[in-house]
Amino acid sequence: MFRRDWTGRNPVSKCIIGSLVMGADSDPGAPSAVPWRKVLYERQPFPDNYVDRRFLEELRRNVGVRRYRYWPVVREAGLVTQQLSCVAAFLTLWWYMYQGQLYPFTLLLAGLLCALLGYGLYEALGGPRTEGRTRLADLQSAAIFLAFTFGFSPVLKTLTESVSTDTVYAMSALMLLAHLVTFPYAQPSPPGSLSLNAALFGSVCLASRLPGALHTFAMVTCALLVFALWPCLLHRLRDRAPRGFPWAAALVSLGGIGGLASQSPGGAVLLALAQLALTLLCPLLLLWLQEHKDNIHGPWDEAEIHEDLSRFLQ
Amino acid sequence: MMGQRRRAGPKGSLSNRTPDGIAVGIQGSPKHSICMVSDFFYPNMGGVESHIYQLSQCLIERGHKVIIVTHAYGNRKGVRYLTNGLKVYYLPLQVMYNQSTVTTCFHSLPLLRCVFVRERITIVHAHSSFSAMGHDSLFHAKTMGLNTVFTDHSLFGFADVSSVLTNKLLTVSLCDTSHIICVSYTSKENTVLRATLDPQIVSVIPNAVDPTDFTPDPSQRDDTKITIVVVSRLVYRKGIDLLGGIIPELCLKYPDLQFVIGGEGPKRIVLEEVREKYQLHDRVRLLGALEHKDVRNVLIQGHIFLNTSLTEAFCMAIVEGASCGLQVVSTRVGGIPEVLPEELITLCEPTVSSLCQGLEMVIARQRSGTVLPPATIHSRVQTLYTWRNVAERTEKVYDRVAKEVVLPLDGRLGRLRAHCGHVAGSIFAFVAVLDFLFLLLLQWFVPDSVIDVAVNASGPRGLWGKAGARKTKPSANCHKDTGTG
Repeated sequence: MFRRDWTGRNPVSKCIIGSLVMGADSDPGAPSAVPWRKVLYERQPFPDNYVDRRFLEELRRNVGVRRYRYWPVVREAGLVTQQLSCVAAFLTLWWYMYQGQLYPFTLLLAGLLCALLGYGLYEALGGPRTEGRTRLADLQSAAIFLAFTFGFSPVLKTLTESVSTDTVYAMSALMLLAHLVTFPYAQPSPPGSLSLNAALFGSVCLASRLPGALHTFAMVTCALLVFALWPCLLHRLRDRAPRGFPWAAALVSLGGIGGLASQSPGGAVLLALAQLALTLLCPLLLLWLQEHKDNIHGPWDEAEIHEDLSRFLQ
Repeated sequence: MMGQRRRAGPKGSLSNRTPDGIAVGIQGSPKHSICMVSDFFYPNMGGVESHIYQLSQCLIERGHKVIIVTHAYGNRKGVRYLTNGLKVYYLPLQVMYNQSTVTTCFHSLPLLRCVFVRERITIVHAHSSFSAMGHDSLFHAKTMGLNTVFTDHSLFGFADVSSVLTNKLLTVSLCDTSHIICVSYTSKENTVLRATLDPQIVSVIPNAVDPTDFTPDPSQRDDTKITIVVVSRLVYRKGIDLLGGIIPELCLKYPDLQFVIGGEGPKRIVLEEVREKYQLHDRVRLLGALEHKDVRNVLIQGHIFLNTSLTEAFCMAIVEGASCGLQVVSTRVGGIPEVLPEELITLCEPTVSSLCQGLEMVIARQRSGTVLPPATIHSRVQTLYTWRNVAERTEKVYDRVAKEVVLPLDGRLGRLRAHCGHVAGSIFAFVAVLDFLFLLLLQWFVPDSVIDVAVNASGPRGLWGKAGARKTKPSANCHKDTGTG
């Protein structure tokens, strides 16, 4: 941080400066007939420690600093909140499965319905399509993925059998946390590989503790819907239907809280408080801190290369 | 503390063998015992290294006693003598990163104290803000009551975490340093801001080049072509990426243009790729790392010297280029606009298009023959920056600093806490107290009076070259090694 009054030194230093000024050849403030120039190649009639009025005149403050407004920031913070709720919703579903209150078939059916609805919405919203990608190709990858997950679900089921349940829970908690921390909130589509991998790893860990192979399959498919496909849809929603986006985020947030409330009212209250703080208080904090921003720039800054120099190598 | 005590006159057997803290030379100006400290010295090569060497030589010439302290470089450890009795201590301290030593604030005190006491040092002069050893020596010197000077050779930003931390450390290190020297006005502004200093204790003394090392020789260049010379480490900060854009752009336009590039570094791959892609093997010569003595031989082959640095405190390279009579084209960054007068340099923005434009202008002038002849450029440049001048101005700083009182411990603690913020200030005030106690402990174990006084090689009573016997002793090859700095 830069303190504005660099002359505000304590009395001891002033003494030293005083003695400096008294030196025969070292009066830094002596007026002179010739104006001082900021050049080294000329011998100038000034002592080496001379400080001109133009000292630091090229100093610039807060160049290119963005001034935020409250509501747009809140809107963007909604993305963080809903992601938190996504994790909560996923955990709630897992808990229902674990308790046997939710059948894998029900979850799979609901998942299929959601996927179809989401796909339809995604298409309806329009936007750029990946080159050469047809609906058939989408269907094909979905089929391959489902087949493989289904085939491997018995393996996944027994994957963590030799690991103690505490370790599995701790690991999934850690992984879901890592997912939340590393989630690329600025550009949520496609979800960053680290964040997606962490989430899937956490879900596989949890799914392997469920009673049957079909349960595991349903849970992993559900994880894919929540952590991989939903962020893509949300991103497109943000791009193409900016008005709808806050509503979607709010809906998911409330859904997460509601789901958690059905199992653990205390947890739901905590989640709701955390989400309120995230959406309403954190933007306030950002705005408040932004006012204290004091960035300094000047000729000493390293120049940045803005051009795309890779074009010379293509 | 030691400084005050010594000024009062050392007691015991030493008093008849050593002069007082400040000896007075024949001309009446005070002569100092100066200890230059930096992690960067020969066999490492670069701007800081040659600065320390050349400045020390010129100070010895002016009658001061100068020693250099650095860390051991591989097999090069212990004490070495260079030209004119310049004594170098290569201390066995652990190197951490980029030739900078590890710092714990304490572990170097016994060794450094030993050197300072043995050599009867009055002024400790540390170089380069990257040198942990330099900062350590400042810290200990202040604990021992010695006057301190610091030279900053580089520019730093303010934006990222690493610079925020290093700037804080610099604030702590410089807040009670007697005087600071910067190599350009831009560098002074930068240092004053980084360390929140009073600008009046910061002097600007530029770097210099040895003009006799860099003389023009137009017969060495091929006048049927136009040659652009680049001599620089091939790293990002030197703008090598820009160079990789300039080369194809200009080579396609001018069939008689060729590039000679001296230097080595991680960005060499960029230039090699460009050369490969555009089939320019006969027109872009990559010479690899150059020894200092070869730099001139490369420079005189060219018509134009190109510098693409993205940041630079002073930039010796462009002065060397101009001294060899080349047309200089450079980016307008850092302290570069201060270095050469307008008629000797073409300044461009740090973009490929701007640099190409500047180069094309100079090429056109070169073709039409309206450029200054190399001999004229050389004669303009040779008087601008000389080491003698640098030494003279640095001497003034020493004279000024020698008159100042080093802050006693309580004053130092107050300064630290007032100047460096409550948290960092308090922490380092505590460290300063510990350092002081450690010094007392060392003085109790080995009192100053027990430590042998070194024979002066340089300085008012320097024995170098006076007795024939001493001449054979020092390692003869040192002189040759560092002859060019």
